[in-house]
Amino acid sequence: MTFDFRVFLGDSFDGTRQTADELLTRMDSLEIKTALACPLKPLSYNLDQANASLAASIKENPDRLLGAARVDPWQPDAGDQLRRALEIYGLHALFLNPWEENFQSDMKRLDPLMEIALEHRVPVLIASGYPWVSEALQVCELAKRWPNVPIVMSNGGQINITGLGQADATLALRQAPNLHVDTAGVYRQDFIEETVGEFGGERVLFGSGAPYFDQRYEVKRVLFAKVDQAARLAMQSGNARRLLGLKD
Amino acid sequence: MIIDSHTHIDEAKTFGWIDPPEALLPLMDEAGVDKAIVMTYRDATSPDDPALTYVADAVERYPDRLIGYVRIHAEAPLAIATLDKALQTHRMMGIKLHTVSYVGFPYFGGTLRVMRRAAEYHAPVLFHSGDETLALPQEIAEAARLCPETIVILGHMGGYFHVEAAIRVAKSLANVLLDTSAMPYPAMIKRAVEELGAEKVLYASDGPGCVPILEVQKVRLAGLSARDEAQVFCGNIQRILEGVSHDV
Repeated sequence: MTFDFRVFLGDSFDGTRQTADELLTRMDSLEIKTALACPLKPLSYNLDQANASLAASIKENPDRLLGAARVDPWQPDAGDQLRRALEIYGLHALFLNPWEENFQSDMKRLDPLMEIALEHRVPVLIASGYPWVSEALQVCELAKRWPNVPIVMSNGGQINITGLGQADATLALRQAPNLHVDTAGVYRQDFIEETVGEFGGERVLFGSGAPYFDQRYEVKRVLFAKVDQAARLAMQSGNARRLLGLKD
Repeated sequence: MIIDSHTHIDEAKTFGWIDPPEALLPLMDEAGVDKAIVMTYRDATSPDDPALTYVADAVERYPDRLIGYVRIHAEAPLAIATLDKALQTHRMMGIKLHTVSYVGFPYFGGTLRVMRRAAEYHAPVLFHSGDETLALPQEIAEAARLCPETIVILGHMGGYFHVEAAIRVAKSLANVLLDTSAMPYPAMIKRAVEELGAEKVLYASDGPGCVPILEVQKVRLAGLSARDEAQVFCGNIQRILEGVSHDV
């Protein structure tokens, strides 16, 4: 019943690609039932088109794949794009990538998008831990302004192999109860365990970040974490379903 | 046989990492790791530094399981005396340098002095490498170029975003090897072995925070040949350690 809260589909400007068939075949082999898919940023940089393509690619497997709308807040019609993705394309979350779309994740310009997310009761997934744009405490500022919008920081809120980002990620989780983290590539397994220890299993979600990260390997981070079974189940599936408003 | 080339034992309250040897040993057992190279999180600044005796005492208690490296503040006035005591008196087998931790550029000053002294013992110098200034593979490459007699290991193979750079460095410099610890991409281990030969890649976990069983799985997912895997898991580090002398 595992739910992967972050995978990517499409063709990226950086050459990375993944199709729904490739993803589903691997998910089957790993006993991952469901995934939330985000569009890769295409070479055209047209994210509205990428959202439409994502919706088309997952529509044949609605019980396996859900989609997140990717929006560039610099675009004047960003709000319209998000509404279109949620209301017409049928996507289930907002995905923000401050690194690739080049914006700081605490900027006020995001507020109209957060308002729409709140209105539609969808979670917001943010590519986090990137220097200058999405350090955990920057994402935290946004989370504190929008306490009723669930926000998930990718990569444990820190992509830093010194481990020096962990304290800030923990501080962010402490300051904003609506903040969560996904597990992709997280440095130090004990960060996951200590996060569960301090905040409970409901703040951590399994997300692989595939194909940038290896889904075969990432699924083991949660399997091998030394946490109780209730927390493991929450990380593997329960939290994702709750945030997305899915029935058990 | 598996030898873990990079683990930590220490009680470093500054980082919140309390990892005595007794925390590491069961994780080694769980992963089927026979021996582990251990080092502190702290940088020793003098021959009487508790960081030095912490490792020495642990190796004395578990001589069949643990191999000591001294982690040194290379800019400290007594850095060379610290190295000498570690290698001669405590029979340690290598040096760990974390240039971010002691805020020193890899390619001049105390770091080069320590590297040159290490070469006199034929002792390896394990660098923290990653995505931040002071630890970039390209910076450590310059140090390795200036000290061609020193065996240089790039811990973490360049972190998250500098793995390709680390492979290029190891390819261009005969005295540079890579360790696999914490770097999250199994496919890059395979690529490193293909481009460099298995003899330049060392299995390491950065445990106990990065759990050895997960890190072992990562190497297995790389899909190496049995011969190459054996080299990575133990053959290479055995070869290096056999060359270490304790007298100069």
